[in-house]
Amino acid sequence: MTTLDISTSGATETSGDAVLSFEGLSVTFKTQFGEVDAVKGIDLDVRPGEVVALVGESGSGKSVTSTTALGLLPGNARISGTVRVGGKVVGSLDKAGLRKLRGNDVAMVFQEPMTALNPVLTIGDQLTEGLQLHGIAYGKEAEARAAELLRMVGIPEPERRLKQYPHELSGGQRQRVVIAMAISCDPTVIIADEPTTALDVTVQAEILDLLRSLTEKLDTAILLITHNMGVVADMADRVAVMLKGDLVETGTVDQVLNHPRHEYTKRLLAAVPHLGEGPGQFGDVARPAEPVAGEVSALDLRNLVIEYHRIGRPAFRAVDDVTFHVDPGEIVGLVGESGSGKSTIAKCALGLIPAKSGSVSILGQDFRTTRGKRLKELRKRIGVVFQDPAASLNPRFPIGDVISEPLVVHQVGDARSRREKVMELLDAVELPPAVYNRYPHELSGGQRQRVSIARALTLEPELLVADEPTSALDVSVQASVLKMFTSLQERYRFACLFVSHDLAVIDLLAHRVVVMQNGEIVEQGPREDVLRDPREDYTKRLLAAAPVPEPGEQRRRREARHALLTSLGEESAELHL
Amino acid sequence: MSDTQQNAAGPGPGAADVEELLPEAKSYSANQIVLRRFLRHRGAIVAMVVMAAVIVVSFTSIGIGSIPGWWDKDIATAYDKIGDGGPTWEHPFGQDTIGKDYFALTMRGTQISLYIAFGVGIISTLIGTLIGAIAGYFRGIVDSLLMRLTDVVIIIPLLAIAAVLGRMTEGSLNLLILALGALVWTSLARLVRGEVLSLRERDFVMAARAVGTSPGRIIVRHILPNTVGVITVSATLTIATAILLETGLSFLGFGVQKPDVSLGSLISEYQGAFLTRPWLFWWPGLMILAIALSVNFIGDGLRDAFDPRQTSTKE
Amino acid sequence: MFTFILRRTLASVVVLLLSSVLMFWLTVHSGDPLADLRGSNADNVQQLMDARSATMNLDLEWYERYWIWLDGVAGCFTGSCDFGVNRSGQDVLFMTGLAAQSTLRLVTAATLIAIVVGVALGILTAIRQYSGFDYGVTFAAFLFFSLPVFWAAVLLKEFGAIRFNDWIAGGQLGPLMIILVAAVAAVALSAILGGSTRRKLVTGGATFAFVVGVLVLFNLLNWYRDPISGPFMALLAACGAAVLVTAIVAGIRNRKALYAALTTAVVGIVAYVVLAYTPLLADPSWPGLFGLFVVAIAVSLLIGRLWGGYNKKQVMLVTGVTGVLTSLVVVADILVGYWASFLGLKSRPISTIGSQTPNFTGDFWERLIDYGTQLILPTALLALVSIATHSRFTRSSMLEVLNQDYVRTARAKGLSEREVVVKHAFRNSLIPITTIVAFDFAALIGGAVITETVFGWQGMGQLFITGLRQVDPAPVMAFFLVTGTAVVVMNLLADLAYASLDPRIRR
Repeated sequence: MTTLDISTSGATETSGDAVLSFEGLSVTFKTQFGEVDAVKGIDLDVRPGEVVALVGESGSGKSVTSTTALGLLPGNARISGTVRVGGKVVGSLDKAGLRKLRGNDVAMVFQEPMTALNPVLTIGDQLTEGLQLHGIAYGKEAEARAAELLRMVGIPEPERRLKQYPHELSGGQRQRVVIAMAISCDPTVIIADEPTTALDVTVQAEILDLLRSLTEKLDTAILLITHNMGVVADMADRVAVMLKGDLVETGTVDQVLNHPRHEYTKRLLAAVPHLGEGPGQFGDVARPAEPVAGEVSALDLRNLVIEYHRIGRPAFRAVDDVTFHVDPGEIVGLVGESGSGKSTIAKCALGLIPAKSGSVSILGQDFRTTRGKRLKELRKRIGVVFQDPAASLNPRFPIGDVISEPLVVHQVGDARSRREKVMELLDAVELPPAVYNRYPHELSGGQRQRVSIARALTLEPELLVADEPTSALDVSVQASVLKMFTSLQERYRFACLFVSHDLAVIDLLAHRVVVMQNGEIVEQGPREDVLRDPREDYTKRLLAAAPVPEPGEQRRRREARHALLTSLGEESAELHL
Repeated sequence: MSDTQQNAAGPGPGAADVEELLPEAKSYSANQIVLRRFLRHRGAIVAMVVMAAVIVVSFTSIGIGSIPGWWDKDIATAYDKIGDGGPTWEHPFGQDTIGKDYFALTMRGTQISLYIAFGVGIISTLIGTLIGAIAGYFRGIVDSLLMRLTDVVIIIPLLAIAAVLGRMTEGSLNLLILALGALVWTSLARLVRGEVLSLRERDFVMAARAVGTSPGRIIVRHILPNTVGVITVSATLTIATAILLETGLSFLGFGVQKPDVSLGSLISEYQGAFLTRPWLFWWPGLMILAIALSVNFIGDGLRDAFDPRQTSTKE
Repeated sequence: MFTFILRRTLASVVVLLLSSVLMFWLTVHSGDPLADLRGSNADNVQQLMDARSATMNLDLEWYERYWIWLDGVAGCFTGSCDFGVNRSGQDVLFMTGLAAQSTLRLVTAATLIAIVVGVALGILTAIRQYSGFDYGVTFAAFLFFSLPVFWAAVLLKEFGAIRFNDWIAGGQLGPLMIILVAAVAAVALSAILGGSTRRKLVTGGATFAFVVGVLVLFNLLNWYRDPISGPFMALLAACGAAVLVTAIVAGIRNRKALYAALTTAVVGIVAYVVLAYTPLLADPSWPGLFGLFVVAIAVSLLIGRLWGGYNKKQVMLVTGVTGVLTSLVVVADILVGYWASFLGLKSRPISTIGSQTPNFTGDFWERLIDYGTQLILPTALLALVSIATHSRFTRSSMLEVLNQDYVRTARAKGLSEREVVVKHAFRNSLIPITTIVAFDFAALIGGAVITETVFGWQGMGQLFITGLRQVDPAPVMAFFLVTGTAVVVMNLLADLAYASLDPRIRR
């Protein structure tokens, strides 16, 4: 079952016309703990005008593979096998040859647009640099060409942008600049390493549209590295799946996504939550308990306003006049893009930041007027899970202490009963008792997030605030955590404010959905209403932009989205030649 | 599509995640990992050995207070001069102008200098940590006030204000330590404040606050243990600062006063003897250099161990 | 931006005011100002004590005396400065003026040297991380951190001044010294340039042979006592500088930049030859020299602009730096020309006491050499610690920057390692250093107190120490005022530098 399909699809087309090819590529890193095999002998071709998606979870070696094409791996890497770009063998080039290759033949689009641009140089400087270096244009001519490139990737007022610095641009615009830089020397192949992972879903859709039109209009080949199956379905012609340095399956997007053959691919696909399929995607267990129509709301926010103070400038209003509530036993999904104020609301509901006006009432008590002992009692009834499993556990506490800390703070029980409670919780979150004495850094991301959830449940809270609890996890881990989460909710029947940017996850879990934009509520209501039949344009746009992991369906969704944009009087992103 | 999903639901996506658990047989706490990294820093290990040797020899040789050591000469007696008073078997470090044993004097000076250095190190670390942690955790007006206080101390050249305080202590060793300790905490306070400012926004502190943990417990149990790297490194370097500061003060005449001797006061007293009795100049100077250099290397080793992003030696 | 600077300055003034209260209180309470008289058995003790009490206002409370002092200082803003009088009734303002001049000269020179050398070393060690050069500089930095300043000063006086003076009387390097110097140069250069072992050996060998040759030639020509100077040597040096600057900033392949830099060097030296016979250089004054310097920079930039083509900015940078270096070469050449006559006036050139030779009679350039020789040792001593600090800090800052994503982006574009470092990493790595320089300045002033004392300069340190010994607040506060203001000004400059380096905080 391993390394499928290379013979079938590789035989039909010779590797001669490939613009980028890896033959028997292996990469080994020398580290202080011995040698690590990051890539274990893979073969892969990318042909002109083709998008090949390299898929895998973190640590699968997909980024390492792509980096070899530019010869940019650090000094402790040992590379064997052949990497060809155009007709050139990367390994045989000297330094000058390698520099000529970079940018000219193969260009790169990185994941993090916020850090990929030099903060102290203007956009113009950074764009013209490559043009002059590779002898494409000089001086005024280069500037004109740079402006042209910015216009091509859909940045308005390109002449003005050239004089600006990266921090003056939004994340999506920066990624457009990075793409403009990548296409500036007309490379035959572009390597896009998670190009949309750091972006909001609507921006992601635009960037993907832009990349797609590159292949159509310039015949540029793209090696797309991603972990997002929706992006794969949206973009790829062919797909290669990596697992721990091995290529386990290759084929057309239809073959791999709709008829996976390798066990791992199947498991990976099964773990992707599918927008539009609602609860119960991960077996019967994964169906949240129905809310009890309670007399007092677990969380009740009325006309909430939150402002951040800034020195020397007017205060920033992060949340403006927000009203919604969470009933006992109910899961409310709070959805929005970055900067929508959703995390701010979560922190306010936990009493971590003060409200400027409006009321926050938890289980019938007002947070703003409760003080001292009663406040502490109230806090006992709220649990919290944060996004980043690496940051949410105190690195100096062993897991046992992490989970029992709330018991200690509230002086519940003695040492023995606390230990028993921790063991019970470890069992509930499907972790072995042995982790009791381990430290957070010894656990994987998914395991840490389980610990986080266990800690949140220690005091058996009536309200759980979960701020993007699965966003930092690999998709298969996310599925298992979500599954466990729903079963726990069924068992403990807590009310939950579930903050997420991922509509598919919300679709899977929530009873009701609140959609936010720029600090204000756009739309709220039962899940079926909001996600199936949205009333507001913003919600429609959000839903339309979320990709699903099935190529045919995704194509229809994409066309529907373009139609929606046209009906709203906007044009979809593409390369303007 | 949904077929495959239900098929796969059987083995359960979570199973793989749990199976991969804990490849290492032995568990290491954060401290043990730091220790292992520290032991790999060769310079720091050599420095530890030198430092330990200096401490042991200086304290066992002439003893402490009334407890005698293994060296048979004392610091007060003027012995018969052998030759011009240069180093001999009898007096390995030579003799001073009136025949006192210079080895004993140097050891006494080393004791006092070490005492001052460690005393100042401890006091300043306590003050700096406290002020930095409070300013960083509570922010706002408390932070502004404490940081302006820090600025008030920083803006006066350290040596100048130390000299003024040194003059006020009038030769009392413990007061001098207190005074210097009350001055050199500023950089640590700034560092700790910066660390605390970023740590308090970390999710695990948020989680602790959400549960209702008191500020005191959060600072002591959750935040400070995570600043231990910064604090340790800074405390180490403060020791080097203190020993050099004391030397400077003694040179200006505002440090350790007679009959006490420190390494600084020894050099200061005999700096004119460089041409006539060079040993009186070299020994205490080399001693200070050895101590300060060791402390700096230990600090570097600790920094590498706590913050492995940028090691100064190759692994 | 303006409001930001204004707010920082206001905050600094408040801090300065509070610090002055603290300093005044501490000084007043640090001892008994009449101690020496109490122990005296002169007949007119009571009279002396009364007189001193009257000068120092000892009958007033400390805050009343502080107020009098503050009132006098505040007069500076209305044009009537009054720093008070010391216990003998001398005007402190007058004393401060002289003292501040020599101290600030010392501290400024040390700061400038420390920044240039420290930053350069830091960047070189970061680029050559884990090399022998890196380890060597690291060890040296730790050594300098750990040196007791005045202990090192005694050594420096002995070897840098006394033995140098003995040696310059003969002015011949011994064979052992020649080999030692050449070996050090060879090892350092091969470590900096790096490469394979073979290449290192070639570099080292060539350097060794070259240095030995030059030093032997110097001996034969009696160069150390009577060095050859003149336009030809200057032209050689200036062209060398031009090539070096081009190689670092623009790359030697960039012909336009190279020709522009060489043009600058040649124009500079031609101007030197022409001007050498006019009073502008033969009998100069400070304003005249400064004017010449400004003109030189302007001409250099113009040359860069004319040559620059599409890449004006970079070429102007090259020619500007070359212009500065050429100006320095010219000054150095003139000074070298005067060295023999200076030795005639002062046979032991480096004295260990004082900031200038008393009763020295020479023309402008000879006096400049005298200032210079007196400044060398204390500046070097003072700068050593700062060089160590800056080099360590720059190294870590540079390494941090080299790990950033945008550096990877730059490499992915196909930029050479030199371009990545010079264009993308250098400026970013300087940003955090501005803050450190400002901080370090305060430490330097503290160090200057000791350095001045060791080298017998009549500077601020002297003023402070005497004042403190005598529990006399006026001179102590004058010291504080000058140093404190200097620190505040330095912080302000650092803020401005920060803002000019980092577009993110400009508003």
